Amino acid sequence: MINILTGIDSTSSALNAERIRMDVVSQNIANVNTTRGPDGKPYTRHQVVFEAVLNDQFASTSPPGSRPLEVRVPRVELDRRPARLVHQPNHPHADANGMVSLPNINMYEEMVDLMSASRAYEANLSAVKTARSMALQTLSIGKR
Amino acid sequence: MIEGLFNQPNYLAAKKLLDVSELRHEAISSNLANLETPHYKRLDVAPNFAAQLSHAVHGRDPGQISDLKPELAVDTSAVSSRKDGNTVQLESELMRLNQNYLEHQLETQLITGSMLRLRLAITGRPS
Repeated sequence: MINILTGIDSTSSALNAERIRMDVVSQNIANVNTTRGPDGKPYTRHQVVFEAVLNDQFASTSPPGSRPLEVRVPRVELDRRPARLVHQPNHPHADANGMVSLPNINMYEEMVDLMSASRAYEANLSAVKTARSMALQTLSIGKR
Repeated sequence: MIEGLFNQPNYLAAKKLLDVSELRHEAISSNLANLETPHYKRLDVAPNFAAQLSHAVHGRDPGQISDLKPELAVDTSAVSSRKDGNTVQLESELMRLNQNYLEHQLETQLITGSMLRLRLAITGRPS
């Protein structure tokens, strides 16, 4: 099949990856005060891992170092930082010393992450837009 | 000898440049996709291509121009300003994206122009 939109493989994989990242960040923000999960422990911050993947389309023409790459999220990992301890003796989940473990989520960190994910998403969208205009331009060769 | 019509060096060079802008768009999409991938190094069209093309055009040899093969290469001039070793910078990448789009537009217009001139020469009327 001919590829009429140049670079669409890389771009769509990136849109997908950034979308997953936004989902994970919003999950973290939603659970910023969750003190009990299904496992009986406070919620732990999740984070995405990005990984570059070789684009097979160029396999025959270019050496591996100089091929366009796609991006994917191979897994979502747990943040290993310890939970925040807050003194709240009247909380139902407080321990014997009156300390409650809150999730290890820093709201500012999550907001910055969310913003950079949405910026990256926009950048990739503008790449698709440009590819589309380029394709239309190419199709109009020979017309006046 | 219908091929003779399409063997002018200028026309071939414009065609080759069109291939280059498609390839460069591929590289820029890959760079934008991997904006936040650790250790990713930005790609671009191999820097020696411009010299090869201008050499071939000066030689005015149609075969030499159409034998040129633009390739992608890791951009060794880009330096990383981040801790994760990634050399992509969003702003300059978007600038390159727009610049490449305008170059592509220029090249399609060049090709269209030379085709319309051919048509004028064949039919004798500007249609």
